Amino acid sequence: MGSRSGSPGLGEGAWSRRALAVQLAVGRLAAPVWVPLVVFLMRFVLRWRIRDADRTRAFYAKLLEDRRPLLVVANHLTMVDSAVIGWGLGSAAGHVRRHRGLPWNVPLQRRVESSWLWRTLAYVMKCVPVPRGGDRREVAQVLERLAHLLRCGEAVLMFPESGRSRSGRVDPEVTADGVGRLVKEVEGCRVLCVYLRGDAQRTWSNLPARGDTFTIATRVVEPRTELRGLRASRDLATQVVRHLVEMERDYLDGRAP
Amino acid sequence: MTEEKILEKVVDILKPYAKDADALAGVSLDTNILSGLKVNSARLVDVVLAFEDVFGIEVADDDADKVETVGDAVRLIQGKLA
Repeated sequence: MGSRSGSPGLGEGAWSRRALAVQLAVGRLAAPVWVPLVVFLMRFVLRWRIRDADRTRAFYAKLLEDRRPLLVVANHLTMVDSAVIGWGLGSAAGHVRRHRGLPWNVPLQRRVESSWLWRTLAYVMKCVPVPRGGDRREVAQVLERLAHLLRCGEAVLMFPESGRSRSGRVDPEVTADGVGRLVKEVEGCRVLCVYLRGDAQRTWSNLPARGDTFTIATRVVEPRTELRGLRASRDLATQVVRHLVEMERDYLDGRAP
Repeated sequence: MTEEKILEKVVDILKPYAKDADALAGVSLDTNILSGLKVNSARLVDVVLAFEDVFGIEVADDDADKVETVGDAVRLIQGKLA
């Protein structure tokens, strides 16, 4: 992977870049096995459906044609949101063919490290675990890796709400600044806001209901700020979350997508 | 501004964010802000932004990343004010 648009701020360790390149190569090799398997599980075992998936996928494919960095930012209600969003943005065949379009995920490190199975799955499934609620320097290292991936043309998915929303609604009060920091540091970064919700999803849960049908609303934004430092990161993250709040309002008013 | 004065203001700023009031009562320069005072990590940004407002300084992301203890915060502010 070669860096396309270098930007100072988030330094990139050479070791980390190599490790990510290896992880990406392994994930790409394993994708023809695991991607269809996960989609099969969602589609036929859990019987989930995505409303207007073809339209969402066509829109996303168009976004990928533009090679500028693309950060996917979504609301967070269940533990499998990233899988459903990945499926909503591309078919199994599409993700195997164009692996860079399958977004990288940022799961909780504690969960990933709970077993070898999770570690292995997280490794091949394009995950960069993050220590939530921990040392900011460790979180900054994770952000460095994500910034590198974005600059390389890989899509990255983040949930700005520091966890699943306990109120069942997008909560701007718990916005972490990671999203804003990435937007600030990665030159030309576009943000694809994704609002995902199953028809039966009243509030947060571990899994969506079996047989649920999901709506995926999307909106592309390129937040800008005149502020500097931490305030810039906070401002950019707040702008993105404000879009998610609006998208949720549209959804609840019955206007989405 | 003296270290004591800065510490006093830092503790005032931390008050609304610290979930452990007992730890705040016995706060020292070695007290860890996240694990000791039980400040939510997402709220640490608000704390640092409050430092900027109260002390009239600007803190970069990298500087904020280094703030783990109350002493780190005091030294950061001292450095910016110098």
